[in-house]
Amino acid sequence: MVDEVAGSADERSAPSYRAKAEPTGEAMIKLRNIYKTYVRGEESIKVLEDLSLDIPKGSYEALMGPSGSGKSTLLNLIAGLDRPTSGTIEINGRRTEALGESALAKWRADTIGFVFQSYNLLPVLTAVENVELPLLLTKVPSGDRRKRAQTALRVVGLEDRMNHYPRQLSGGQEQRVSIARAIVNDPTIIVADEPTGDLDRQAADDILRLLEKLNTEMKKTILMVTHDPAAAERATIIRRLDKGRLK
Amino acid sequence: MTLPGLAFRNLRRNLFRVVLTVIGVAVAILAFVSLRTLVWAWTSGGEWAAKDRVVTRHKVTFVMTLPLRYYEEVKQAPHVKLATFANWFGGKDPNHDKEFFSTLAVESKTYFDVYPEMSVPAEQLAKWQENRKGAIVGDVLAKKLGWKLGDRVVIQSGIYAGDWQFDIDGIYTATAKSVDRSTLVFHWKYLNESLPDRAKDQVGWIVSRVDASGHAADTGVAIDKIFDEKDTQTLSQDERSFNTSFLAAFSAILKAIDVISVVILLIMLLILGNTIAMGVRERTNEYGVLRAIGFLPRHIALFILFEAMFLGMLGGALGLAMAYPFVNLGMGRWLEENMGSFFPYFHVEPSIAAMGFALAVILAGAAALLPANQAARLKVVDALRRVA
Repeated sequence: MVDEVAGSADERSAPSYRAKAEPTGEAMIKLRNIYKTYVRGEESIKVLEDLSLDIPKGSYEALMGPSGSGKSTLLNLIAGLDRPTSGTIEINGRRTEALGESALAKWRADTIGFVFQSYNLLPVLTAVENVELPLLLTKVPSGDRRKRAQTALRVVGLEDRMNHYPRQLSGGQEQRVSIARAIVNDPTIIVADEPTGDLDRQAADDILRLLEKLNTEMKKTILMVTHDPAAAERATIIRRLDKGRLK
Repeated sequence: MTLPGLAFRNLRRNLFRVVLTVIGVAVAILAFVSLRTLVWAWTSGGEWAAKDRVVTRHKVTFVMTLPLRYYEEVKQAPHVKLATFANWFGGKDPNHDKEFFSTLAVESKTYFDVYPEMSVPAEQLAKWQENRKGAIVGDVLAKKLGWKLGDRVVIQSGIYAGDWQFDIDGIYTATAKSVDRSTLVFHWKYLNESLPDRAKDQVGWIVSRVDASGHAADTGVAIDKIFDEKDTQTLSQDERSFNTSFLAAFSAILKAIDVISVVILLIMLLILGNTIAMGVRERTNEYGVLRAIGFLPRHIALFILFEAMFLGMLGGALGLAMAYPFVNLGMGRWLEENMGSFFPYFHVEPSIAAMGFALAVILAGAAALLPANQAARLKVVDALRRVA
């Protein structure tokens, strides 16, 4: 089935639709006239230029494009890791680009789950402790924190590796721990920056299946940056960026 | 798992580097504690000095003597309830001429009453007072030179010529830390009768005990006033001031030790700062991840500060664990035995140990301030891009 994505305005880009998940149609993420310019010395580098975008709730979107096209920058802006030079970002009705540093950090902790290319687990913590990490910022009692972390690891199929350190896990297992860490706070959006970039095909398929499961069964909105067409195929929508503009 | 717990776990990340740093801090603390103990042991004579004792000496210098008759006048001064006197003899054992110890010719009837912290068994004291050539020695000196009760020993003096024979009639022990346990005391009369007439009836200093410690200063003034118009003027000080004026001669050495102590702390600061800065640099990417998942800049700064302070605690604790046996059983024992006049009691004071430990922790925190501030100020995306 082909989904209708809110996007009547002219400036909105036209995505490629895939026939997989069923977004609600309601735009959860709204970007308007986003510009992002980096200044290095006397040189200004425009990374994103007049970009507007609506992402519906429950969608699974892949962002593709050549290196330097601005896809990671776009992901960082949506995830609240960076701020646009100009333009507005509204997520669940909240203008995130206008939030202060502390409020933005709290918003990220509540709303966004992160999956990084190189997993970024803390090597001194076991799998379950890594997953528990985001809960340290909450008022969840320590006993419940551990239970929630164990549940998240069960969801990703690593209940038998809870007390292993990252060095004792394979790349695919590390990435699954990282996904468990991303969902332990029950965020509405998961952003994944090249989640399969460091994995072999088999492990990459496992991770992509897991992301699909999070999208279809747990109704998470997933935004994934990838270079891998096979990975992008698994998403509902594929958007392509080139020179800071959506094609 | 807790936030401080996470900081502590981070110490295990590069165990080799952490162990080297902890040893570096420990050695710095060992050196610091040893030096502070040296200064403390040297200067604490003033702190331990009896508050009810007044020392009267020649106004010009304690090397010059006072006429014996002054002793009788001092005894009559207001608030003085007891007085004694002594002369510096400058003796040494010709069989152990490298061993330094104090030798004093003292007024034998009163000396141990004025210095009750030098404890002599009553029968030994009685025997000594009957024996003109008798001597009483400290227990540390007796042990070091192998002297026993009843031994006859020969002492030579750098001031008074000839061989001086003494019978060891008593061995005193100390009931206070301030007491030099390596002194030999003998009868002033024995010295006096051996001197030519022109040198007779001179005393080095007079020590008075007053009826209340609050009267010590006034009594000193009153004693000096008695001798104001005489040929030989005096300078009377309470024992603390007297000891302090003696130490003033060594103030340059004490200042040098103070400077070295500060240099040691600076070296420790640099060792810690280097380790912490390297760790922070290597982990910038992880701080980016922590920030991404919701940790605030202050959390990052606290992680780094906690980690540094744990490092300081480990180094401080190891330093103290090394300092206690080194100072109390090694260096201190040697100094007490060989330089008991300067260092009658050379042990690590709890306050110095606490200061050493606290400085290790505080300086570790201080060393982490700059890296912690830099890490906390990093933009999340910049931190995430950073590869160690």
